[in-house]
Amino acid sequence: MASTTRRSRRDIGEGVLAALLLAPAGALLALIVLFPILRLFWLSLHEVRLSEPWAGQPFVGLLNYRDIWADSRFWRSLAHTLLITGITVPGALCVGLGLAFLANLPFRVRWPVRLALLLPWALPLVFSGLIFAWFFDTSYGVVNDVLARLGLEGPAWLSRPGPAMAAICIAIVWKTSSFCALVLLAGLQTIPDTLHEAAAIDGAGRWQRFRHITLPLLRPAIMVALIFRTITAIQTFDIPFAMTRGGPGDATETLAMYVRTTTLDFLDFGYGSALAVVMFLISMAATAWYLRWIRGTSE
Amino acid sequence: MTPDRVRAPGRIWLRLAALLVVLNGTFPMIWIFLTSLKTESELTRRPITWLPLEPTLANYVRAFADQPLWLYVVNSLVVALLSTALSILAASLAAYALARLRVRGRELILAALVAVSTFPLITLLVPLFQIMRGLGLLNTYPALVLPYAVLNLPVCTLVLVSFFESIPKDLENAAMLDGCTRLGALWRIVIPLSAPGMFTAAILAFVNAWDEFLLALSFLGSQRMRTVSVGITLYQGEFAFPWPLISAALMMALLPVVVLIVLFQERVVSGLTQGGLKG
Repeated sequence: MASTTRRSRRDIGEGVLAALLLAPAGALLALIVLFPILRLFWLSLHEVRLSEPWAGQPFVGLLNYRDIWADSRFWRSLAHTLLITGITVPGALCVGLGLAFLANLPFRVRWPVRLALLLPWALPLVFSGLIFAWFFDTSYGVVNDVLARLGLEGPAWLSRPGPAMAAICIAIVWKTSSFCALVLLAGLQTIPDTLHEAAAIDGAGRWQRFRHITLPLLRPAIMVALIFRTITAIQTFDIPFAMTRGGPGDATETLAMYVRTTTLDFLDFGYGSALAVVMFLISMAATAWYLRWIRGTSE
Repeated sequence: MTPDRVRAPGRIWLRLAALLVVLNGTFPMIWIFLTSLKTESELTRRPITWLPLEPTLANYVRAFADQPLWLYVVNSLVVALLSTALSILAASLAAYALARLRVRGRELILAALVAVSTFPLITLLVPLFQIMRGLGLLNTYPALVLPYAVLNLPVCTLVLVSFFESIPKDLENAAMLDGCTRLGALWRIVIPLSAPGMFTAAILAFVNAWDEFLLALSFLGSQRMRTVSVGITLYQGEFAFPWPLISAALMMALLPVVVLIVLFQERVVSGLTQGGLKG
């Protein structure tokens, strides 16, 4: 209790102090996150076109949402986003797991490997996109050069829908697998060697040890990587923007890109907000899954 | 006694494994570096060359001369440093309250922080754009500093909460028995002891702010305000995309971040896994 410690009169109560300390963070969050989100919902129920300022901001109810339902470009961008999520999340996890296993080998000098995992993480997403766009350049890119040396003719990667999507997914997997590897490596390092040795003495082979020791103990780290990766994959913007700007046509346009185009290029803030609300709900579903999982493990 | 199936792999295999990981992590940057040393005419040769035939630094000179690259770097630095400072300040106060004081609804606050850290930026784009426009902040540094500070707040707070919790309470109690106020104890005991934790959180916040693209692309429309990621991505050559020039600019833009992580790699790794694994 507060009275058990000798306090000077200047000292304030614990509750007041806590409130004071939390206030700056709370104010910032209210201004930059809470208020904008409420505003987003409000905007999504109105017609707000910056290009027609004379029209005012009439309330239109759920009209924007009805339009979304009938908007084929929305469905395509949603499909692209889900496709990217479905390919790059497992892809980055598998590559990341491989990298983590390699990085966990008993090297005498550890820093080059650690650095090699950190570099892709620290590289800005949009720069990774730029660099991979250069890799996949039809005439002068290194990918088609290697293919040519193998006697194959590479496609015009970024100007055809299928290859463009493939190139984007490869870039995303490369960029994000190192984050997965770092998380998984931290998990691997908590597994004591003695467990493996004991199991080996009992006659367990490599695969059995992987299946029955490594995987179960690695589960928490895998879950963290999986959920974080999923949440960021839903928001994919930078890499496709840098590589194709959503093209050819809208063949690689993600939901986030469509929201931005609708608002900042078409200046249709009402409809763009409704699109953003849809994205918000999808993302919050993934977050809820994450929070439930955290609660499950802490109990 | 160890059965040979758990024996460590041989030296050659170890070297190969290390080489594989290192190549995977550095190949794109090596390629960009090699590209940045080539002349424009060499770049249009087919088959392409891997190593530059006549290495030149001319692209680096031109990267600074052809576009205001310095300005972009300064813009990025100002925005990243200011937002990091703001983030750390607000986060350390909040983290102290969450780690040390009885806060009603503590679990709820922590959960809210995790939720905010997963927030899709694009959902904030539209209303924030309007707010910044209303406040006349478009094309000014605060338009990015405020959002970046807030978006880094959760990670910094979570890292710092776990750091504060690792500092023994007795140190503070002793100081308070000796007549320190709680804020005095925070200032004299906890903050000096948690400097490493703050530093870790600051590196993460800085890298995130340096890397951000979407808001920077949308809120700073004028060319002189562009951050380095926007400036380079929107760079338009007169004809085709000028790859040697872009590569040189990319190398310069990557330098600050690479220096940071080379110097502080252990800290970054521990911060990343703490922020990620602790919820």
